[in-house]
Parts: sequence; C-alpha cells; structure tokens
Amino acid sequence: MGGLTTSLLTGMQALNATQAALAATSNNIANSNTAGYTREVAQMSEKQEQLIGGTVVGGGVSLNGIQSVRDELINLQIQQQASQRSEADTESSSLQPVQNFFSSTGNDIASTLSAFSSSLLQLSASPSNAAVQESVLTSGQNLAQSFNSTANGLTSAQTTADQQVTTTVAQINSLTQQIAQLNAQLSPSVMTQQNGGTIEDQRDQLVQQLSTLVGISVTQSSDGEVITTGNGTPLVMGGQSYNLQTTTGSDGLQHVLDSNGNDITSNIQGGQLGGTLQIRDHVIPGFLNSLNTLASQFATAFNSAQAAGYDSNGNAGQAFFTVPSGTTGAAAGISVAITSGSQIAVSSDGSAGSNGNVANLSNSLTNALPSGQSAANAYASLVYQVGNAASNASDKSTALSQSILQLTNQQNSVSGVNIDEETTNLIRFQTAYEAAARIISTIQALNTATINMVS
Amino acid sequence: MRVSSNMVPNILADLQQSQSTLNTVLQEVATGKRVNLPSDDPAASSQMVQNTLETANVDQYTKNINSVLANVQQAGSALSSVVTSLTQAVSLGTQGANGTNSASNLAAIAQQVQSILSAVVAAANTSVGGTYLFGGTNTTTAPYTADSSSSTGYTYNGNSNSNSVAIGDNLNVQVNLPGSQIFSDSTNNVIGTLNSLVSALQSGNSAQISAATSSISAAIDTVSQAQGFYSNAASQLNAQETSLQQDTVTLTTQQNSLVGVDEAQAATQLSQAETANSAILAAAAKVLPNTLLNYLSTPSA
Repeated sequence: MGGLTTSLLTGMQALNATQAALAATSNNIANSNTAGYTREVAQMSEKQEQLIGGTVVGGGVSLNGIQSVRDELINLQIQQQASQRSEADTESSSLQPVQNFFSSTGNDIASTLSAFSSSLLQLSASPSNAAVQESVLTSGQNLAQSFNSTANGLTSAQTTADQQVTTTVAQINSLTQQIAQLNAQLSPSVMTQQNGGTIEDQRDQLVQQLSTLVGISVTQSSDGEVITTGNGTPLVMGGQSYNLQTTTGSDGLQHVLDSNGNDITSNIQGGQLGGTLQIRDHVIPGFLNSLNTLASQFATAFNSAQAAGYDSNGNAGQAFFTVPSGTTGAAAGISVAITSGSQIAVSSDGSAGSNGNVANLSNSLTNALPSGQSAANAYASLVYQVGNAASNASDKSTALSQSILQLTNQQNSVSGVNIDEETTNLIRFQTAYEAAARIISTIQALNTATINMVS
Repeated sequence: MRVSSNMVPNILADLQQSQSTLNTVLQEVATGKRVNLPSDDPAASSQMVQNTLETANVDQYTKNINSVLANVQQAGSALSSVVTSLTQAVSLGTQGANGTNSASNLAAIAQQVQSILSAVVAAANTSVGGTYLFGGTNTTTAPYTADSSSSTGYTYNGNSNSNSVAIGDNLNVQVNLPGSQIFSDSTNNVIGTLNSLVSALQSGNSAQISAATSSISAAIDTVSQAQGFYSNAASQLNAQETSLQQDTVTLTTQQNSLVGVDEAQAATQLSQAETANSAILAAAAKVLPNTLLNYLSTPSA
C-alpha cells in the first residue's frame, strides 16, 4: 500500500501532464489561423503500476511529448495536384494576352482578311477606279500588319515565358536551399518527437510552394525528405540541396540544367516551370507554325494570282506581298510589295478597264491553299486551337481547384484546429488541473493532520 | 469524422465561384456578347471567322450590284434610244426610197439621217463617270471616233472583251457587251449601214437607199438583242440583291446564335447569380462567428 508521498507524486505528474495538454491546446488556439499549422496533441500514457506492500498501485500519468497530427499521404496528394493546377494556371494566364490577338477587335486577321476580300470584290465592279484600287492596297497593308502584330503577340508571349524560366528557377533554388536547411535541423529532433512540429510545418509549407513551381516527387529517407523533379533530377537530399541552372541555348531560349550541367528542359513537367516551358516550347511554336504557314501560302497564292494578270499600266502583275522565303518568320515579315493601287493586276487582257483578273485575286482568298484549307478556314482552325488551349487550361485549373479544396478539407479534418474542440479540451483540462491541484491540497491537509497527530 | 472548424477556405471558394459567375453574366449583359474571347467558345469563335468574311462579302456584293446596276441601266436606256433612232432612220429611208423626192428633199432627209447617225454614235460613246460602256474592256477611250479612211466613217477603238462582276460566291454576271457586237457587228454594222444610207440619200440612188434601209431594219434586231442582254442582266442583278438581303439576315442570325447573348436568359442568369452570391454572403455572416464560446458563460473569478 502506497504512502501519501506516492499520491503527492501522482498529483504532481497529473499537474505536469495537464499543463502540457493546456499548453498544446493554447498553442492550437493561438495558431488556429496560421497557414500550414498542424494541430498538436499532448501524448499521455499510464505509468507502470507499482507493487507496494503486496498491493498493486497505479503509477500515475506520464507525458510522452507533444505531437503534431498530420497525414503525409494527403499532403502528398495536395502537392501533386497543386503542381498540376499551377501548371494549368500558368498556361491559362500566358494564353490570355495571346487570345486578344485572335478575338474580334477589328485589327485581327479575320477582320482585315474580310476587309481585303470585300475591297477586292469592289474592284470587280470598279476595276479602273483609282480610289478603289488604293483601298485594296490599304486593306492589303492592314492584312499584312495584322499578320505582323499577331505573330509579334505570339513571339512576345514566348519571350515573357522565357524570362519566367530564369525567375522560376531562382525561386526553386531558394526554396530547395531552405528545405535542405530545415531537413538538417529536423533529422536529430525527429527521433525525440520534441519540437519537430513547427519545423515540419515550415518544411511542409515550403515543399507545398516548391510543388507549385515544378512537379516534384517526395520520398522519406533516414536523412529526412528526398525531393526530386518528376523525372528524377535531385533537388534536395537530406541536408543537401542541388541547384538548377539556366543557360542560353543555341535557339536563344533559356535551358534548364541540373546541378551536373545536363539539359533537363524537355523533361520538366508540372508547376509554374512546367507550364511556362509547355507554353514556350510547344503551344506557342505550334500556333506560330500554323500562322507562318498560312501567311506564306496565302502570300504565294495571291502573288501567283497577281502574276496571271496585268496592272492598270498594262504591265504584267508583279508580286503584291513580300514574304520571307521559307515559312519561318513569314507572318512576322509579310509586307505589301507594291506601292501604288495601279500596280494591282486587275486586268486579264492588258486594258485598264478589264476586271478579268480580279476573280483570280478574289479566288486566292477562297480557294484551298496547299495546306488543304482556304485562308479563312486555316485561320478559323487556328482561332479554334488558341481558344481551345486557353479554355482547356482554365477548365483544368477549375477542376483541380475543386479537388484541391476537397483534399484541403480532408487535411483540415485531420490536422486543422477546431475551436469548439479546443474549447472543450480547455474545459476538460481545466477540470483535470483543478482536480490534480485538489489532490495536492488534500494530501497537504492529510500530511498536516498526520503531523498534528504526532506532535 | 473529425471536422475542422475552419470554414474560411470553403466559404472563400464558394464566394469566388459565385463572384466569377456574377462577373461573367454581368459582362454578357453589358456587352450583349456571350463570346468575348476565343476561349469563351472556341468552336463559335472559329465559325465567326467565316461569318465575318461572308458578312463583309455579302455587303460588298450588294454594293457591287448597286454600282453595276447603274451602268447596266444606263447602257439599256442608251440602246433603247438607239432603237428609236434606227426605227426613225428606217422610216426616213423608206420615205427616201419611194422615188418621189426632189434632190433638195433627199438632201434634207440625208441631213436628218446624218444627225441620227451622230446620235447613235453618241449613244455608243455613252460614259458613266468617265467609263465608256461600249468599248469592251477598253473603258478609257471613246469607242467610236470619226475616221474618214474607214469605209463606215468611224473607227472602233475598243476591244471585243467583256467584264464579269462578282455578285455572289462563285456567281459572276457579265455586265457589258463590247460595242463591236452591237454597233459594228460584221453582219449587221449599225454605224456602217447608217453611213451608207446617208451616202445613198446624198447620191439619190433609190436602190441603194432601199438596200441600206433594209440593212438598218436587220440591225435593229442586233441592237434589240443587246438591249435584251442588258435588261436580263439588270433583272439578274435585282434578283441577286433580294437573295443577298436574305443572306444578310441568315448571317446576322447565325452571328447572334454563335456569339450573341439571349437577353432574357442573361437577365435571368444575372438575377440567379445575384441571389446565389447574397445567399453565400448571408450564410457566411451567420455561420462564421459561431463557436462554442458563444454559448459558454465567461469563467467567473
């Protein structure tokens, strides 16, 4: 049978354990709105019972530590989806300015092509009218300028994406360095499970941020977390971080190199960097290629229609458009070659009043180009591609946001702070503390009574 | 299941969603357009390219018809005055051939036929806005000029070509006949026969007068045929104009259905979005401040 001192010790332990629980609760309440905070619980267990004088007596309570409640699997899922959403967001926001060049503003190719077409039709009715000829010349110039500005819009979106690569890589490096530092701090304390919560929270937050910049894969090792890009390029191994580098490639664009100098540009997926590279290297070059093909084939077709006729001065029709040879840069470089409306090859017989060649000129707008589509249809396909790419990216982002929200809810249900729960705990621990204090005062009273008895 | 009391992320997401719907509908109502960027409806945006082109073309076809129609009508009325003149020349020729005319009478008739010839040549040289209608595709020089070396007294300066004007997709209408087919045709040369009638009248040869007169009668047919060509072209132009008006309506309807907004539907959607938005706000205001603390009395000292 235990003495009063045993009970006094048990009361002390209860006070300690309850204080720790109160500390955890107050920390939870304090951080209830802190981003990335994981709620903590005081881990308590029964102490080994003791055999005193043939009687088994409870050993009191033992405080094992304060532990953060986290679910690594959900964290991992959130990271993956955040990575994909960030990629979609980047694509969507990069395509937004591009789309403006393809929407009906009056200066877009659809509008200027239509104006060019109708000015040519007017020429059919008034082939020798100088004002009408000038209007064909002007609308031809406007069309060429639309091609130029659309191509420039695409190129500038590509340049913006290219500049983002360098900034994003710098951000990735800064994050991986911080994560490596935290990993180093974490590895000894993980063992004791003391105080690891805060650092782990910080690291989770940084890994979360990293996953929005680039698609990563996270594994646990004895040294702490190992983080690699999706294709296995190491970024962080325990306390060591590996910086990515950028260098200007032979194509004039920024290439991403791993820490050993290998070009990993084409392997990067996910996150802001993945989205930026996707836009820069695949999406925009695809659009530019279609636009250049269209500009080149259209100009060639129109020029050969010009060559079939005679201008108002009776000379054989000369090229209306100048395009760079080859398709690369055709849309950016297309311009009107002739300087006067009288050089438009309206006539089929050399007399100024003939409109015999105007139909050929008009037909070059409606006839199928070598690509198999007419100029307007080829452009319409391009508009569809641009619109579809932008709407897919934003739809994807919306869908992922929904699923991230669900995962976050799930994460919160494990790791988030519930004020009602904490309040209840507060009352619970308050009561427990009061009771434990009562043990002390009761034992003290009993001790006093015993001492008085003896004296 | 354990629930986190942190409802802020959910409420924020819902608010953003409803705000974005509200913005979209508001923009639709304000602009009257459902599609403002290609991503709003890629397929419709793509179809709009063709629609824009066709709308511009149909507009221009209509303008072409109006401008060509003026020329065609002008040519038609010039030819009808030529027919009148020629009919007059036939009766003068018949009068001159009856053998009862004195030399001075014949000279006077010759004078009248000469002035008819001038009128016919003037009609053949009709121009609209500096464009000669009967010179084939040579529209800048007068088709007929006096030429004493020519057997007919006049030279044709035009060519034998004609213009066809675009008035519809793959629809071109021929809008002129060269003067060589109307006035100086190889079989029925109007100007030549008038000229020989003048000579015959001046020389007083009845047989020649009769021959020239009957040639003119035959030439009236040629001119009438040409007149028929122009009135045919005019009616074709008018018919096409009506059909183009229909096309305009079709294209506008298509445009509305592709990118336009249904006002009634948009207004309904707007009020729905407003209601949803205020409902979420009201719910958030009611739910967010609630915790167990509201129901616990403050611990007394």
